Amino acid sequence: MFVTGSFEYNMHLELAISELEKKGVPREAIAAVLMDSRVEERKILDTIHRADGISSFDTAALLGTFFMLIGAIYGFILYWGPVIWGLIGLFGGAVIGFAGDVLLSRILSKNRTDQGATGTARGKAAQVFLIVECDKEFETVVREVLWDNLALGVGSLPG
Amino acid sequence: MRDLPVENKQPESIRNKRRPIGLVSAISVNFIHLRNPWITASWSAMFPGFGYIIMGSYIKGFLLIGWEFLINCEAHINTAIMYSFQGRFDLARDVLDIRWTLLYLAVWEFSIWGSYALTVDLNKLAILGNREDSTMVPVNVSTQDIGFLDKRQPWMAAGLSLLSPGLGHLYSNRVPTSFFLLIMTIATVYMSHLLQAIEYSALGAFGLATAVLNPQWLLFIPSMYGFAIYDSYINTVEYNKLFEQEQARFLRDNYQNPQFRSRLTASGYMGGL
Repeated sequence: MFVTGSFEYNMHLELAISELEKKGVPREAIAAVLMDSRVEERKILDTIHRADGISSFDTAALLGTFFMLIGAIYGFILYWGPVIWGLIGLFGGAVIGFAGDVLLSRILSKNRTDQGATGTARGKAAQVFLIVECDKEFETVVREVLWDNLALGVGSLPG
Repeated sequence: MRDLPVENKQPESIRNKRRPIGLVSAISVNFIHLRNPWITASWSAMFPGFGYIIMGSYIKGFLLIGWEFLINCEAHINTAIMYSFQGRFDLARDVLDIRWTLLYLAVWEFSIWGSYALTVDLNKLAILGNREDSTMVPVNVSTQDIGFLDKRQPWMAAGLSLLSPGLGHLYSNRVPTSFFLLIMTIATVYMSHLLQAIEYSALGAFGLATAVLNPQWLLFIPSMYGFAIYDSYINTVEYNKLFEQEQARFLRDNYQNPQFRSRLTASGYMGGL
């Protein structure tokens, strides 16, 4: 029969595979299907689960830094002083950069989203499917190994 | 009999190592990926050398950062920038030390142009390396430290950098950047009297805060602070992508046996215990 588990790319995936092998499942009886993700709508923030690398962080960081500098400079002749004005500049600049970037990307990617780039499930997405071939008595052991190593889901196919 | 033309074929071992995309060392993971050249150029404009540090070009970056501190402080560039923005042009003119000032221009512009050009070149290497599907070893254990690829939280890195520049890079194991940022933080915070000014500002004594600050050193801080947050965040994101790329390759090479599918129909195999 076949036991499948879905995973993200992480160390636990390799821990699961090596534990299965240690428990006697031969390497040829384990297959990994690598999932391509659909073209996603550009995400605003990167997470550990998904990082497209084009998040709206570039402009926010640059503008935040620039306005912090401006704030510190004018803070010397303004009442609140350079520290407060520098902080105002940092957050103000970051917000402006962030908002501007999001707005710009909305405009630029309008065509693409109109065609319905279906947003994938929020949060964790299955990136790898492990398929383990084993006999019936071994099923619970395999399932346990997969669950113990943070599988997102586990299923079996009798036969 | 005619001699057959000799084919000068490159050994496969060399061919597959010509376009590496990265190396995991004990104290840092250096690797090449696509970047926007305008972003690295902008960081170099903020602080010469930062563009190079982003790309992992440490020696050039540290050289330029050291240069910036020396020339800027001797020529009083930061103070002059401040007076110019405030419209006090006479003061700006007087504060500049013309024995040093002109040294600033060429190197500052070089650092901007240089990081732009280097990014463009590295982008080509990144594309070639990806097409070649270059391998890398994801763990490096040495007697000094242990470096490895792993999934880490980008916001954790940014948050740590917010607390103190350099901590975010320690978190993502980019030790050379961390080392420099931690030292720069001590130097600039001390010389600019920033912590005293924060204390006074928190107590509402804004006049005292303004008086105690040294603008020449204070103006280094925004770019250093912003850079630490930005770079640690972006690096963590890219390391996560690299981890996935490397693991996908490992799985493709070892767990996609063509024999597997044939057993779907032939029930001969009984795996397990």
